[in-house]
Amino acid sequence: MRFGCIAAALLFAWFGVARAQMYPTPRPVPRSTDAPTLHAQAVQREVTERFGIGLAAENRNEWDRAAPEFERIVALKPPEPQGSTAHYDLGLAYAHLGRNDDAAAQFRAAIALDPGFLAAMANLIGVDLARGNIKEARAVADGFLAIAPDSARALYSRGIVALAGDDARTAQNDFGRLIASNPSYAVAHYDLGLAEMQLGRSDDALREFQTALGLAPRYARARFALATLLLKTGRRADARVAFDEVARDPNGDSALANLAGSMRDAIAIH
Amino acid sequence: MVMSRRSIGRFLFSGMLALAAAGAAVAYANAPSLDARSADALIGSEPPALLAPITQAGRKGWECKPEQAAAAADRHAAMLPGDPSR
Repeated sequence: MRFGCIAAALLFAWFGVARAQMYPTPRPVPRSTDAPTLHAQAVQREVTERFGIGLAAENRNEWDRAAPEFERIVALKPPEPQGSTAHYDLGLAYAHLGRNDDAAAQFRAAIALDPGFLAAMANLIGVDLARGNIKEARAVADGFLAIAPDSARALYSRGIVALAGDDARTAQNDFGRLIASNPSYAVAHYDLGLAEMQLGRSDDALREFQTALGLAPRYARARFALATLLLKTGRRADARVAFDEVARDPNGDSALANLAGSMRDAIAIH
Repeated sequence: MVMSRRSIGRFLFSGMLALAAAGAAVAYANAPSLDARSADALIGSEPPALLAPITQAGRKGWECKPEQAAAAADRHAAMLPGDPSR
């Protein structure tokens, strides 16, 4: 009995000690009286604080409040990855404020600091398209695709840039590759149809527009494109039917409905 | 030689007729054909929406959704424009 009590006490003491050993020893707080070190710490604290405020504002879509925070961070020139990220977030704020030229400059600065920054490339293409700079959009899209050849966004972005720049061959290639990995994407079939049409390949264009409509029957732009192709290839009656369908169900696009209606009527009187 | 009033009237009427015909011819020549009119309305699909803000931790790592979207091969993960309603 006495032996049992002693053993239990020893066991209890052992576990107590073992548990106590699991606590980590406190690390000394880094302290310095060196002025440059203290300044660097103060800058880092400001950067962290402003990132928090700026991101919170962006998440509330308060872009005008976010922009000054990131402008200040950019002025402080923090190290990577904070530098390129601040330029990116500032570019995003400017883009949402309609300052596309300033936004492009910030995304460019982010890529200069971090040449593999895909999100910055994606957004730079977006603002370049918005401000009509097809040349830069194309150069950035080429770089984007060179780094990420399987990226759906890179393929899609370069495809629409190529269509806007009358480079149907590149658009055909990019949308074809996008469809290979996303075969049920109606929008990509529509864009590929446009590229085929620009290349004069009417049968392929017809197939792509029909595929797009099979995947999304209320896709008014694809039906309008189909009607245009039918008209171009001399199938006026079929074209008139397709224009009529767009006019009756434009899927919210009233401008397209008006144009389709006038096309339908013009075919009727010719 | 003096022109009669009737001759002047005929002359003016012929001139106006010729001008009207010329105007109609120019308008016809400049009018786009039907298929050209609709082809002008064919434009590529819209650009994708801008990718979201990134935290100060930067683009590297699994937490950065915008960078993942930029690299994704799947169109949903890439946040490309959605298909029109069925």
